[in-house]
Amino acid sequence: MAETERVRVALIAHCLLNQNAKVEGGAKRPGMWEPVIDLLRARGYLIRQMPCPELAFGGARRFWGVREQFDTPLYRRHCRRLAELVAGVVEHHRDDDVVLIGIDSSPTMGVDFTPSAPHWGGKPDIGEDDSALVRGDGIFLEALREVLAERGLPMPRSTGIRHWFADYDPDEELERLEDLLR
Amino acid sequence: MSADPRSRRVAVVADSLLEGLAAELGAAGYGLIQLPPRDLGDATVAAWIEQVAEHVAEFVRSGYEVVLADDGAAEAALTAALGELGVEAPPPYAVQPPTTSAF
Repeated sequence: MAETERVRVALIAHCLLNQNAKVEGGAKRPGMWEPVIDLLRARGYLIRQMPCPELAFGGARRFWGVREQFDTPLYRRHCRRLAELVAGVVEHHRDDDVVLIGIDSSPTMGVDFTPSAPHWGGKPDIGEDDSALVRGDGIFLEALREVLAERGLPMPRSTGIRHWFADYDPDEELERLEDLLR
Repeated sequence: MSADPRSRRVAVVADSLLEGLAAELGAAGYGLIQLPPRDLGDATVAAWIEQVAEHVAEFVRSGYEVVLADDGAAEAALTAALGELGVEAPPPYAVQPPTTSAF
């Protein structure tokens, strides 16, 4: 099939359409993260919203956490169940142009970065956030990569939104997104 | 983290209505939960609706306002999935009429 005939599909982290799914204190906007949604709509991408593994597992009142806290066999199984659903969408669009946009400050939806603090645990009064953003994907992304590989499907081109980075640069992010949506 | 501006308003939206309603719902501050596109296979659609129901149940349990903008394709399945979780189907979203000039 010619490149021009392929449907453009964007798998997006749930919270990009629904900021209410963010951990308390983590929303940036009332409803959706418009910079990404508007760009995808302008570029003619079909939006496919992925589930929010953290909301479904820990609830709307969950504490914020780091990758080491979420990295349990049960949470991995939960992510894998949701990854099977997303893999079904990827399989449906196997001949199309599929991209994935995650959240690079998330222990679950991180694409290139994920938060780490091996010492976090116990009473939730950490005071200043001393976690670090480290290279690596979140637990859901890892599960999705595994499920897609088992089905013989490629991992979509992907990037992560970095609006919680201390040095967040909207222009850099737009450039990175435009490169993804080439 | 800074002050959290979330609306605590969630609209569950049929895929066929998403493009037409996104701007209106976004302007009203709703966060959106997308219902499955019709052309996905039965198993994927069922799994998608199951996880939407779990998300909706959690938002309802936590006191968020949830409304439904459906095209009739998923309402029965969503209602059944929510019923299994002990949650009623969200009330319908009232599409806003076009604004008119002031008389």
